[in-house]
Amino acid sequence: MTAKVIDGKAFAANVRARVAEHVARLKEENGLVPGLAVVLVGEDPASKVYVKNKHASTIEVGMASFEHRLPTEAGEAELLALIDKLNADPAVHGILVQLPLPGHLNSELVINRIDPAKDVDGFHISNVGLLGTGQKSMVPCTPLGCLMMLRDHHGKLAGLNAVVVGRSNIVGKPMAQLLLGDSCTVTIAHSRTKDLAEVCRRADILVAAVGRPEMITGEMVKPGATVIDVGINRIERAGKARLVGDVHYESAAAVAGAITPVPGGVGPMTIACLLANTLTACCRANGLAEPEGLTA
Amino acid sequence: MTATLIDGKAIAARMRDETRAEAGRLTALGWAPRLVSISVGDVAAAELYVRNQQKSAEAAGVGFEARNYPESISLEQLQGVLAGLNADPRVNGIIIQRPLPAHIPVKALQKAVHPMKDVEGMHPSSIGNIVYNDLTLGPCTAVAAVEILKTLPLKMEGLDVCVIGHSEIVGKPIAFLMMGLGATVTVCHHMTRQVAVHSRAADAVFVAVGKPGLVRGEMLKPGAALIDIGINRIADSDGNTRTVGDAEFASCAEVAGWITPVPGGVGPVTVAILMKNAVLATQLQMEHYRTAFAAAV
Repeated sequence: MTAKVIDGKAFAANVRARVAEHVARLKEENGLVPGLAVVLVGEDPASKVYVKNKHASTIEVGMASFEHRLPTEAGEAELLALIDKLNADPAVHGILVQLPLPGHLNSELVINRIDPAKDVDGFHISNVGLLGTGQKSMVPCTPLGCLMMLRDHHGKLAGLNAVVVGRSNIVGKPMAQLLLGDSCTVTIAHSRTKDLAEVCRRADILVAAVGRPEMITGEMVKPGATVIDVGINRIERAGKARLVGDVHYESAAAVAGAITPVPGGVGPMTIACLLANTLTACCRANGLAEPEGLTA
Repeated sequence: MTATLIDGKAIAARMRDETRAEAGRLTALGWAPRLVSISVGDVAAAELYVRNQQKSAEAAGVGFEARNYPESISLEQLQGVLAGLNADPRVNGIIIQRPLPAHIPVKALQKAVHPMKDVEGMHPSSIGNIVYNDLTLGPCTAVAAVEILKTLPLKMEGLDVCVIGHSEIVGKPIAFLMMGLGATVTVCHHMTRQVAVHSRAADAVFVAVGKPGLVRGEMLKPGAALIDIGINRIADSDGNTRTVGDAEFASCAEVAGWITPVPGGVGPVTVAILMKNAVLATQLQMEHYRTAFAAAV
């Protein structure tokens, strides 16, 4: 194996530490405490774990965390009223509605009710369009984390060939926009792509976000390329459950120049970027300069 | 020349006939589509566009009012004008003519147009919808370029597409529209190291850069479709000015399977799409009105 392993855990810890410094500075110089409100509807066990982790991380960097739990049967009007209240609350700079919502709730309607300036997930349709037109926006956390790691590894990304495999709204599409924003030549490949291996082999930067375990193998990687694996798949191997990415790690690491492992690669960056987005939202809401290196 | 010439005028005429029928249906329901065009300051620059749009609107059965405001108007006053137009039920679509004076940022105006009246498809939420693959009101030039490609006997799913130019209003929306149709899209731009490597691998090439002669025949895969969105005015050796695209037409026509001419390619279809958007916007507003105020009808 030759590839440098990009340590997402250490990188995320560094981002969180930088966020914490800015939070301390805001408190001291401006008397401001960035606040993140997380809304959880229902009892989905995985969602409960995520919300708990987000709460703990928010407190850890010195921000205010507001948790709002609604019962599974909560109505649309009740949820929208809560969002309206959070939109109007000056202590809340970021609002996150934990997805998926129970089936009777229209998540598109709910997300688009959030004030775009407080939409720290970056899913509001206006934020999608602002990112698409190169304007200041809230950037979805996972692709933002990937971008930070790529910038750190490469310095400048301009002119590099980037291939994003997967065209999801939460990773593939915003990832492509961000890479274009940094002047990469970007190809978006997906399930309909005719010769995926051939397309991938052109990539100096290969981002895999398809949700198919170990689908990208070493022979699809250009020697020396940087491979970012966004996939998190639970598979069973030799009777044991384990987590693997969308990239076949061993074969890819033998060819790549750098690679993110799963777990411990992109995953930890997502919450770190959520905190970074909340900090950015707080600075913008108060007309302060955005912290450098923590947003697109 | 081996390429088949794509007749943008004929495609536009077909679209306008469809739009006219739709406009007639809406008019009969009491919802005659009507556009308002806003230009500011020196009219000469935008005059040709406005006149073209006016003619096209007449042909499509869409009402058209051209308004010109003095150079001295402030951004706030214009936003006020737009707020009025947004609230006026007899206005179904708003066009912001460019260029605007330096003190009027175009994005601030585009954002002030109600998304349901955004016939140019420039509001962030309109662009967001394109990215999310919900094509309601798309940016006219990008939609026109894609609609032209769709008239060719090519399967969009799995098609290898190269978009040269990553502008916010043309290149990027084309990329997302094509991706939504299942194509594998590569976006190239001024920082791309070897455009030819990407363009030669493509079954269809869109070019929207504003540089005459940028795409040459040897940069194309034989038989590929070339959609040229560039509009450049150049002076030839006799001192006459003429309009050319971003492709070197003669050499590209030897290699491509299909090619759009400039003028007469994407241009006319763009105006036809604007009229189609006017009718779509009117339809949306009618439906919205009925849900909000007249559920019993």
